[in-house]
Amino acid sequence: MNSLSKLRAQETARVAALFLTPVFLILAIYVFYPILESFRISMYDWNGISPNKTFIGGDNWKDLVVDGHFWKAFRNNLTIMVLSIAIQLPLGLSLATFLEFGAGHKILKVYKVLWFVPLLMSSVAIGFLFTYALSTTDGIITTISKFFGGGNVDLLGNPKTALFTVIMVICWQFTPFYMVYFIASFTNIPYDIYEAAVIDGATRSMYFIKIALPLLKPYIKSAAIMSLVGSLKYFDLIYVMTSGGPGTATELMATYMYKESFSNFNMGYGSAIACGMFILISLTALFTLKVLNRRNTDDLI
Amino acid sequence: MAKKWGLFLVVLITCMAAVFAGGSGESKSDSSSKVLEYWNINTEGSYKAIMDCALESYNANPVNGYTVKASPVVNDKYKEKLAIAMSSGQCPDIYSNWSGGPLFEYAESGFAQPLEDLLENSPIKDKIMPAGLQQATKDGHVYGVPYQNLTLVGVYYNKSIFDKYGFEEPKTIQELEHICEVLKADGIIPFALANRTKWTGSLYFMSLVNRYGGYEEVAAAEAGTGSFESECFIKAGEKIQDWVRKGYFPEGVNSLSEDDGQARQLIYREEAAMKVALANDIGTFKNEAPEFYAEKIGWFPFPYDENYPDVDPTIQVGSVGNQFITVNATGEAREAAFALIENHFTDASIQTAIDTGCIPPVIGIENKLSDPIQKKLVETVLNASAIQLYYDQYLPPAVSSVHLDTCQEIFGLTMTPQEAQAQMQAAMEEYNAGK
Repeated sequence: MNSLSKLRAQETARVAALFLTPVFLILAIYVFYPILESFRISMYDWNGISPNKTFIGGDNWKDLVVDGHFWKAFRNNLTIMVLSIAIQLPLGLSLATFLEFGAGHKILKVYKVLWFVPLLMSSVAIGFLFTYALSTTDGIITTISKFFGGGNVDLLGNPKTALFTVIMVICWQFTPFYMVYFIASFTNIPYDIYEAAVIDGATRSMYFIKIALPLLKPYIKSAAIMSLVGSLKYFDLIYVMTSGGPGTATELMATYMYKESFSNFNMGYGSAIACGMFILISLTALFTLKVLNRRNTDDLI
Repeated sequence: MAKKWGLFLVVLITCMAAVFAGGSGESKSDSSSKVLEYWNINTEGSYKAIMDCALESYNANPVNGYTVKASPVVNDKYKEKLAIAMSSGQCPDIYSNWSGGPLFEYAESGFAQPLEDLLENSPIKDKIMPAGLQQATKDGHVYGVPYQNLTLVGVYYNKSIFDKYGFEEPKTIQELEHICEVLKADGIIPFALANRTKWTGSLYFMSLVNRYGGYEEVAAAEAGTGSFESECFIKAGEKIQDWVRKGYFPEGVNSLSEDDGQARQLIYREEAAMKVALANDIGTFKNEAPEFYAEKIGWFPFPYDENYPDVDPTIQVGSVGNQFITVNATGEAREAAFALIENHFTDASIQTAIDTGCIPPVIGIENKLSDPIQKKLVETVLNASAIQLYYDQYLPPAVSSVHLDTCQEIFGLTMTPQEAQAQMQAAMEEYNAGK
């Protein structure tokens, strides 16, 4: 009997290994190996194309720690992160709630599709669309301002407003994602609970605040983590709309990494930035997870 | 438990083996095949016409059995794409580039073969403007051959606006500023500039530096004997900020995009009167608005400052060739690639270039041109004592990117010229120290 269960365990392990190998291979080739390789390259002074690399140990890392440009980019990333979570999640949740409570009305199905559209567009297309829409000379905002007798409105070229303008576009793009995500989360709440609440005399807003919201909490948490990681490694839209400019007003860690690696021929330093990003993002995510989980146990007590 | 770890290790080792097998099995762009890969930015318009003409005549008479396959890439991301190809060992056999700092970087890394021996015995040696070859020569080695366009920086202006106010083409910066004042007072934007692209604003900066310090200051600063913080650079930055404050540029200049034609639109709508630009604009004007170009566009070289009489006013900013062909292939393939280069200088190729609005960098070209602006441009080049290649091509990439960023901040008034130049100098010193 004992040997039988042992045999069974062995069999399971063997099959598990067999089935996990492809995933493992893919992860090893496309995730683990590049990360390790980046760390290795970050120890070299290398222009990215020459066959000769010079080993310089931690010099790139020392430069990175005191590089004001990098920390400026990190601060911009943090701003995007905070505002993304503060705008996209509540907005996504309210849209989802609106659609959920109104289920049954036909017009809402149309809204659902319309609101989903931004997510279907590629970031590059959105970037171009908004650069034209926000153009200083003949964009939408300028035209409205001129209609009311104002002057040209320069949102993307002004270092004070550029970052926030880009963040608004990012929110426009990603709010639908959280909307769909929360719609899916709502379906995980059993309908009986809603019925029970209604029978007990709860209004919709009471149901939402006292019942749905607490039940959605784990989903909100993972949405926040997703948004956090996404914001910290953000690249495409910014690259298309401002490529980090004007000056360094909208520079992100990823755009800085790209510039150093491929425009400035500092592949070694670019790799150090990539690794710095990796470390910072991991730390921020771990820290946030820990904080969120601690709150969770507090609530239980 | 131990067994599980054993399995885990087996899987891990298999993975690693797969990774390294993949690494070593990767082959360089196959040198055995008889097709030469040619990368360039000639996706459309005149540049494509020139290339097609040369390719056709080469492929009709291939040398050493090699045929050439061209892969045009859009200009914007070309440099990055090339660097990525080189870093992964997939460098094309022949490629187009802008010469200057990046080209020498490619050469140092072994991706550009010297061509002076082949050039010495070739008839094209006496055709190409020496100033063009000079831009691609380092330590006596020629790494690229100019073939495309003489792109001089100058001021394009709207003739009918100038006529309306009775302006002459200004010779000095003081006259230019007077024109700007009058235009500004009448609600016309003096300069059309779209500076999200950054290099467009740099054209103003470089032109001004030339007028305040001449040619040597840049070379000295690059070599480490001078400094980017010297007076002519600071003065150029201050002049730009002065002009920004006086409203000589469109509002939101740093958010307008040259690639989307937002500066040219201001010219076409006659909302702006002048544009400091490359000669590439001639081809674009002709393409987008041929009648407007023929009727209304005039050109003059960047004016000089009468308070700086010692500085040679004939020095210009530009590139004698714009694009250069560089060869990465070796042996017989290198000779074949060079034959392709020679085909860019046949009478048919040169005529195609002229017909499509380009000024190929060949000797005696002034006699073949009929366009008055192009003629004036070539005259200016021939009279120039020196031609300064754009900083973003001339300087090492790590320094030029600092220049482009800080220059944009100068236009945005978010950085003083002193701060901007200090950053540029620091980047240059760092680069020279690492050499």
